[in-house]
Parts: sequence; structure tokens; C-alpha cells
Amino acid sequence: MNSPWPLLITLAYVAIAMAIGLRARGGRSMNNLEEWGVAGRSMGPVTLYLLIAAGSVSAYTFMGAPGWAYSKGVAVFYVAIYLAYLALIAWYFGPKVWQFGEQFGHVTQASAIADRYQSPALGALAALVMAIGSIAYAVLQTIGSAYILFVISGGLIPIWLGVVLVLACIAVYLYASGQRAIGRTNAFQGVLMLIVAWAVGLWAVHSATGGLSFGGVFERIQAEHSEFLTLPGAGGDMSFSFWTTSIIVSMFSFMPPVWTQWMSASSARTIRRSATWLPTYYVVILPMVVVGFIGIFSLPELARADTVVLEYAMQNLPVVLVGLLGAGTLAASMSSSEPFIHSVSLSLSKDVLQPVLKLSNGVTGKLARLLILPIMFLVVAPLAIAEPGSLVMILLVGLGFASQVLPAFIGMFFWPRASRLGVIAGIVAGFLITVAFTTLWPHPLGIHAGFWGLMINLPVFVAVSLMTPATHDEVVERFFRIAAPRGFTRLGQ
Amino acid sequence: MRRLLVLPTSWAGWGLLIAFLALVLAGTWPVIGWVNRATLVIGLPLLVVWSYLVIFACVVVMLIGNRIVERDDHE
Repeated sequence: MNSPWPLLITLAYVAIAMAIGLRARGGRSMNNLEEWGVAGRSMGPVTLYLLIAAGSVSAYTFMGAPGWAYSKGVAVFYVAIYLAYLALIAWYFGPKVWQFGEQFGHVTQASAIADRYQSPALGALAALVMAIGSIAYAVLQTIGSAYILFVISGGLIPIWLGVVLVLACIAVYLYASGQRAIGRTNAFQGVLMLIVAWAVGLWAVHSATGGLSFGGVFERIQAEHSEFLTLPGAGGDMSFSFWTTSIIVSMFSFMPPVWTQWMSASSARTIRRSATWLPTYYVVILPMVVVGFIGIFSLPELARADTVVLEYAMQNLPVVLVGLLGAGTLAASMSSSEPFIHSVSLSLSKDVLQPVLKLSNGVTGKLARLLILPIMFLVVAPLAIAEPGSLVMILLVGLGFASQVLPAFIGMFFWPRASRLGVIAGIVAGFLITVAFTTLWPHPLGIHAGFWGLMINLPVFVAVSLMTPATHDEVVERFFRIAAPRGFTRLGQ
Repeated sequence: MRRLLVLPTSWAGWGLLIAFLALVLAGTWPVIGWVNRATLVIGLPLLVVWSYLVIFACVVVMLIGNRIVERDDHE
């Protein structure tokens, strides 16, 4: 493809995103954590809906998910289901987290953990280990962005330059406008992704079948490759147990940026309203996945499954749509990486550096903004350029850990007797099992490593909590006035 | 405090908890095994149609939940 239009359209998207991100500041001072970190708790339901939706729809939707459809089939839809379940999680927990933040001044997940268990060390531990998974996630999204620029520019923008360009663009508006920039740019990116996904999907279906119905594509798959229409999929590796445990583990991975997004809402009711409609956004996945299915019969010799949409578009779609696809994919990866970079910087400043260096809130606010620069250019950029083979492994272990923090949340929302030592013991036991079952003996019996971790983690957490002192009553009562406004149920009566 | 737990305190709350659990069950094993067939419904694979039914059922349950929470006037 020699046309300059795809690159120009993609770069135009980058320019618009930067302009929106910079304008989001609106003359406010960003040197305090309430403003830069959680947008002054001001986001309305529509912005919050698009913020969470675009944040959860990563480059995976435009590259990985069609690639899964191309190589495995309908197994890819476990993602759509767990994303809908995350909306249930947001509906129940989001309003309570917002109230914790508003009443106790939390701006990060780790601050809430440190406060509930009266342990800055536990908060710092949570912040540090969550940062591993978050950075790995941001690196993967940055690699996706750079790859898109490389392909769309016909090789003119090498990977290293693409990484630097994308990170520089995000750094400028993230530094200037913080969470407000993420909210506004994600709103723009969310709408763009929805339009691009359906335009590309319908055009691809038309070019492959002559009609606009997805039925033509699936009738052909049913006749020629019916193994793609059921589990365990064409690769034979998505068993019922792996489907089920992957959904459960993903559901209970309370990642820090999501927590920050909840705390950015203007009210508890706003979160509930946004979460209610959140699953409707995941219709964005369907057309992209259909292009993956088209690839099964039209691009049978593809070397990299996750390039199926891009390859098909470049061979069959008009240049304007290829450009929009580039912009949409870039939007997906940027909208997912920036909340993770932001939350790592916020949490490292607030939950690690502030208690260790005894910094004031003012200094910590300035530090959080500045810290995005070393995180991006000394950690994310080198890793994205080097593309270490173990990155996906780091991400899997990181996400596995995220689900192991579950005891901390059980003690925050359901069980007042949970103790600091119980949480630490559960997390450590669960994490070790998750690491072992991700690296040494991957997913035994077809069950997700994180699920194995939880099966050890939770009994250890309960047992150690019952054997060790609980947190002070006044702290527990403060939290449970919000988590259980109508009181408790006593077991055994 | 040792035996205290947060559980629903009204029939509506229990109904909502059961609906949430039913939704999770609908998208996982063993229910997902019952729709694991290579048949097409309105031109889409059965598993895909089922996935989107579960997804939109989540919206319906949360809409009902909003009415309950706002009627009872507690967050």
C-alpha cells in the first residue's frame, strides 16, 4: 500500500487526541493529587462510561481478539463475558469505593488498603506489586501502538521511533491534565473505536460475502471449519475449565486504574448508572472478531494471527478505512496504556515515596506528575523497544497477582474480622502458587494459575486472620458504615 | 466480630444476589457446555448469541438493581 492517506489519518487522530488531552486541564492547577489523580471527583456518567469502556477495550480488541478468532474461534468470547461481569463488579463495589475516597481522602487503591489494615507497609507492598502487572500491560499496549505506526507508515516509522512518539504524546497531556486528560481522550477514543470497528467489520463482510449479514461468514465457517464454532476451539486448548476459571480470575482482578476511575466519578450514583450500561459497549468486539473469522478462509497462510484485521484491510478495504483502522487501533492501545501509567505514578508517589520520604501532600502531588516521565522513558520505552520474550509471562504473573489481592477486598467489604497478617499471608501464599503454576507447571488440569492461587490464598487468609489480632474497632466501624450500611449478618444464629 | 459477615438484609437484596450469581453461572461451566454446539442462530454461532444474551442480561439486572437501591434510598 503506497497511499499516504492511512498514515495521515492516523497522525491526525494523534493530533486530535493531544489537543483534547491538553484542553482537558481547563486552567486548573494540577499540583494536587485530588485534581491530577482523580479529576477532583467530577466525572459525569457519560464520560465515566466511555472512560471505563475505552480503558478496558485495549489493542487486544483490534488485534488479539480477531487473532484468537482466526486461530481458535468462538473461544475468544470469554473476554466479552468477563468484561460484562466487570460491570457487575463496578456496580456493586464502585459506589462504596467512591464513598471511601470521598470520606477518607483516598486517591489510590493502595491508600485504601493501607487505611483499612492500618499498615502503610501493606499499602506499599500492594502498590509495588500491582505496578509490575500495570507496567507490563502498558508496555504491551505501547508495542501495539508502535507496530501500528510501523505498518501504516509502510516502515517509515521504525518501532523505536513509534514507541517514543506515542509515549511523548501521552506524556504531554498526561502531565498537563492528569485524570481529566484520560477521561476526555478516552471519551473521544471510545466513540472512535466503536465507529471504526463497525465500519471496518461491515465493509469486510461485504467484501467477503457480497452482503452485510454476518450469517454468510459463519455459514461458510460452519460448512468448512465447524471446530471454530465450539469450545475447546480449533487449537483444542480452551477447555470449559479454562474458560470458566479465566473468567473468574479476571473478574476478581481489581486493577488499580479501575479503582482510580471509580474515585473520579462525581457521585456514587454516577458510577452505578455508568456501570449499568457498560456491557452495551462490548458490541465493539463483535465486528472485529468477525473479520478474524473471515481471515480463516481468505488469509489461510497468515504468519501472525494478530495481524489478521490489518492484513485483510490492507488487501481489501479502501485507504480511508485502513487509516481509520490505524487510528482506531492506536486509540485502543493508547486509551488502555495511559490509565496504567497514570495509576503507577500516582500510587508509587502516594503509597511508597510519600511514607518513606515523609513528603508533604503538595510535594507528593508535584512528584506524581513528574514521575510519569521516568516511568515512561526509562522503563516502558526500553522494554517496549526491546520486546522481551518474557513480557507476556510478566503480565500473566502480574494479573495473577492482582487477583491474589482479593483477601484485602474481602476484609474491606464483607468480613470485618480480616486481619493485616491474614491478608499478607493469603497474598504471599496465593502469589507463590500463581507464579509456580504460570512458569513451572502452566495451568495444571486446564485450570487458570490465578484460580489455583485463590484456592490456597483464601483458606490461608481466613485461618491466619482468625489467629491474629484484627484491626482497631474504630477503623473497622468507619469502613463498614459504608460497606454495610444496614448492619451485619451473624453466622451460626 | 469473628462471625459477622455482610450479607443482604432484605428479600430484594437476596433476589439481586441470586440474580448476580445466576448471571455468572450462565456464562461459565456447566451452562456454557449446554450451548456449546456448532449451530447458527440468526446467522451467528450459538455460543456468540448466548454470550451477548448474558451480556445484555447483566444490563437488565443492574437496571432492576438501580430501582431497588434508589427505592430503598441507600448507597
